[in-house]
Amino acid sequence: MKWINFLRKYGPISRNDNMYDETIYRSAQKMHIKPIVFDHPFKGAVCDCFCRPQATDPVSVILTGTAGDGKTHLCREVWKILKKNDDDWISDNPYLKISFKYPLDRKNWPIDSNGDLRKDDGLYRNVMIHVIRDLSGWAPQQGQKWEPGKLELIHKFCNSLFDADASDIFLIAGNDGQLIETFRRLDDSPLVKKTREVLEEFLVEGKERQDGIRLRFFNLSSCKSLELFKLAIDKFLNHPGWQECYNGNKSDDEAFSARCPIRHNYELLQTELVRSRLESLFNLCDHIGLHIPVRQILILLTNAVLGHPDVKDYVMVPGDVPRLLREGKASRANLFDNIFGGNLPVTRRQGITVFEYLDRFQVGYETSNRIDNIILYGDMDTNLAGYYDELIKRDSYYNEREYFLEAKRNYIEGVDESVSSQQDFLQLLIRQRRGLFFKIPRKMEKELRMWELTVFKFAGEYISEVVNAVEKDSPVDTSILSRLVKGLNRIFTGMLINNDEAIILATSGSYSQAKISRILLERISVRSSKGEKVVIKKNNRYCPNLIVQLSPDIVEPLDLNLVRYEFLSRVAADGALPASFSKECFEDILAFKSNLIDAWNRRENNRDENVAMRKELRILKLSDQGSSDDTIEVRP
Amino acid sequence: MNDHLNRLEPPRKNPDLSMWVDEAIWGHRLHDEQTPWLVYLEFLNVFCYEDSEGRVFEESGYNTLKYCPAKRLYLRNILFNNPWMEEILRKHPNDLERWQEWLDKMSETETLNAPDFSYVKEHFSSFEHFYQVVSLLRTTSLENGSNKRWTSRFVFPYSEVSLYEDLDKKCSTNDRRFFGRTGEMLYLMLCRSKYKKELAVKIKEKTLNSYSVWHTLIKCLQPSTDENKDRSERANAFVPYTNHRSFDLLAEDWLAILSLSLPDYDALPYLVNLVGLHIIQYQLTVAAQVAKRRQPYFICEIVAPKKTLVRELSCETFHSNDLLSAQAVDIYISNIREMKEWQEAVGNHDPYSACREILQREFLWLRDASDYNGPADPGRLLDEFRSTALNRHRGHVGNVHRVYGREIGLVSRRGTNKYRYAPTDDFLRTLIFANVEKRMELHFFLERLLERYGMVLGDKEGEKVLDRKDFDKKSFKANSQRLEQRLVSLGLLQRLSDGCAYVKNPYFSRSDNEK
Repeated sequence: MKWINFLRKYGPISRNDNMYDETIYRSAQKMHIKPIVFDHPFKGAVCDCFCRPQATDPVSVILTGTAGDGKTHLCREVWKILKKNDDDWISDNPYLKISFKYPLDRKNWPIDSNGDLRKDDGLYRNVMIHVIRDLSGWAPQQGQKWEPGKLELIHKFCNSLFDADASDIFLIAGNDGQLIETFRRLDDSPLVKKTREVLEEFLVEGKERQDGIRLRFFNLSSCKSLELFKLAIDKFLNHPGWQECYNGNKSDDEAFSARCPIRHNYELLQTELVRSRLESLFNLCDHIGLHIPVRQILILLTNAVLGHPDVKDYVMVPGDVPRLLREGKASRANLFDNIFGGNLPVTRRQGITVFEYLDRFQVGYETSNRIDNIILYGDMDTNLAGYYDELIKRDSYYNEREYFLEAKRNYIEGVDESVSSQQDFLQLLIRQRRGLFFKIPRKMEKELRMWELTVFKFAGEYISEVVNAVEKDSPVDTSILSRLVKGLNRIFTGMLINNDEAIILATSGSYSQAKISRILLERISVRSSKGEKVVIKKNNRYCPNLIVQLSPDIVEPLDLNLVRYEFLSRVAADGALPASFSKECFEDILAFKSNLIDAWNRRENNRDENVAMRKELRILKLSDQGSSDDTIEVRP
Repeated sequence: MNDHLNRLEPPRKNPDLSMWVDEAIWGHRLHDEQTPWLVYLEFLNVFCYEDSEGRVFEESGYNTLKYCPAKRLYLRNILFNNPWMEEILRKHPNDLERWQEWLDKMSETETLNAPDFSYVKEHFSSFEHFYQVVSLLRTTSLENGSNKRWTSRFVFPYSEVSLYEDLDKKCSTNDRRFFGRTGEMLYLMLCRSKYKKELAVKIKEKTLNSYSVWHTLIKCLQPSTDENKDRSERANAFVPYTNHRSFDLLAEDWLAILSLSLPDYDALPYLVNLVGLHIIQYQLTVAAQVAKRRQPYFICEIVAPKKTLVRELSCETFHSNDLLSAQAVDIYISNIREMKEWQEAVGNHDPYSACREILQREFLWLRDASDYNGPADPGRLLDEFRSTALNRHRGHVGNVHRVYGREIGLVSRRGTNKYRYAPTDDFLRTLIFANVEKRMELHFFLERLLERYGMVLGDKEGEKVLDRKDFDKKSFKANSQRLEQRLVSLGLLQRLSDGCAYVKNPYFSRSDNEK
């Protein structure tokens, strides 16, 4: 069971040793256990920057991202390939260097007829690779001065970006803020200034490379959380440590016996449905711009399996199991609740990124009458019995039925009116709803409107109909496009119009951002017509974009993230602006309108060299059929 | 006067005034009833006239500006003194009858000599269309919903043909109620800024669009015969300084806004906010110079759900800034005692008469000696002058800080019973659009706001301006965090990991700025 004791260190405990690449190896070695390791999706690309055969004219590389993204780990991978071992890595020095030979002609590696590298030194040039694996540990602390040696080194780095003949290149790992901060604290020489601008541009614009600049920039936070999750959960579930836990005969209340909550959770996590719902959540996080780093994914997985509210640090060890079983508390190790950090006290949970992010979906707090009826009255109502049996009764481990029924009776009949008993009941309800989120099978998803268990009612459709479609470059269903256009039009005009065949650009006359805009500027056709069209397509990464083409060379994209998608869909479907959304979305869409109007002005100016005096005014009118417009012509 | 400011003397002190004090310190004149929008309108009137004379932003001698604004009485009667259209539309199904009745009614218009509105008919295909245009123009008119007299209502400044001056009820003259010359001052201020040339080009290009349908429409509501004959000359605007940092800052900010790729007229509200802001800045900076105080600063609260230390400090700075201009007047008058001329007069055989003469000549006060009933003593006379001047100051000029502050969204009483600096979203947007090109790190942005406007939003800035006993790092940090959240929700801030955030200006257009 030492695996579980080791695994615990990945969890949300206060001394989370497995947080840092530097410490994880030490503790793994000490316990003779293989840590959870997988190849980062960027590993190939990063190693190719330095290693044979791709790297013939190497440039400096920066790895940036959030804490826990695996920057140090990637540095180590590169180091291992260059140095052929990682002995030096154990040291605490945040800075290491190694000299490496690269082809002198900077094009091809000199290879003899056997395919081996030729030995003639004259064919190579020596390049010193400086690895700063932890920028914050290396750069002087705030308020302190630069040591001359370090200052010289960082200037060398600046130079390496612009000088093709530089024989020093760098591999630097640091968080975004550290990176900016380090260069801000340097002098203001032209070289440093130029470097600072480059870094800022790369960081904010999400660039990876730029012509004329000898730098590759990998922002590990741009890696899809879903992709990382899939890699992590595979390694997590298939770790040989689990097999060892199964070995041997177990008495009834022992850890990893058939009744053990750890084992139950481990097995539940392997079921396809639970995994796919988790994947959906990660996918959606990517589409609301929330990046979950590797370290946080491991916290989630560990907590899902080992979480329990009544043990030390809220994370179980094998020793806890007999007691929990004896006291009948195994059902509180509820995996579905643990996934959202439900086993942790609020203050503890709030400090953990992954739980904070998943909390935004409000699973357990959002619901529909139908789903709550199944949970509350399913056992008494013949119409709901089928659902009840399949979704609740079958899960005898976590349905907490007796407890639930008693709490329900107390709650409804008001036997015990204390706040705490009401709280208990509501907490039970939350756990059951969370359970349903992972138990409703795919075929019932639509019928039960499962996504109403989250704040994003359109999330299911967003993934299946939009994200999946654009990833395959196939067209998105026209009914969806029409709905989004209708939503846009309602916001653009401030009127409850139903038009969805064209995007309506309107202003109030004096202000384009006015709440009500009745002066029609243009209708941009959704279907392809005279150079105009509106489509949903993938952008250069993985996000769907709503692309409004005003003419073949004037195109305005709107990043169609989940929040905007939900917002526009609700505006189109429900009419009024949803109150639960902040102004953020509204402002956002109005800013898009500004861009469209600007683009339209450009198009009109291009079309007509001598901009004629305009003589027509089109006023939007609301009618039963939607909207029409009155054209008023004046005769100057 | 020994406050080390080099003041200009006006070419001719306006004889209509009851005294020349506020005017000497700040100019002729700052006026609280003229809101920033109206300041902007008055400015455009001057700008367009001077442009038509081919001398825009050129001052042949300091404070010699003379211009003739338009009246456009036909347009104004149609828009704001014509309540019958809806009824006529309902009453007559026939277009001809509609026109006929309307023209009959309009022929009785009192403020015009032999009014003839028949030209309107030529421009529209139906009375209903005409009615729709008029109601649209009414909805976009400035301060729509206010109950000002119709002669003080203004159509949105779509183009040059929408500009006219404020008039009294009889339409005979500008009674300086809402066009109180602050717009003329604004013109002179920009005239004396370093960037006047670029600015003149941009203002013409970006704010007065004669290609727009609005220009055409508004022109159609005016007779083609030259209404221009009926213009009167306006003069006597006065700004006492040949240059001032506020003038250049304002011009810079305007240039930044005018270089953005904002659609159509969207830049205007930002220009107007900046007018308000820089007039406040000008007033307070000059006041601080006269009163020999430190440069004023503004502690701005990003509205918190409950009372915070920042809110308290914000109320305090508002209060002390609000008193600053009156203190300047007080000290300005106290300084009279140190004038050589005054001291000589006191030693004169008839000190009272000699001193009174100085006040009458230099400060235009006590035009009628019988207005003063006190003892014939120079000291008492001066005291009387001081209290009259302060009363007059509090009536209008002293309110500019508060009134303009509220108008532009810098000053608010939200959630409290005291005024404080609590910027609105629109005001924050104005600051970003004027100061951020493509993007700027948040803390540089905060630094810049302190440096340019004396605004304090974050902890670093708070630490710089406040005494240690007043400063609390935590509450200022919370304040800047609230700012971050607000800007995120406005789509104007991008946060990277660990505390690194960038303020963005989505309307910055590189091409326009490289021209």
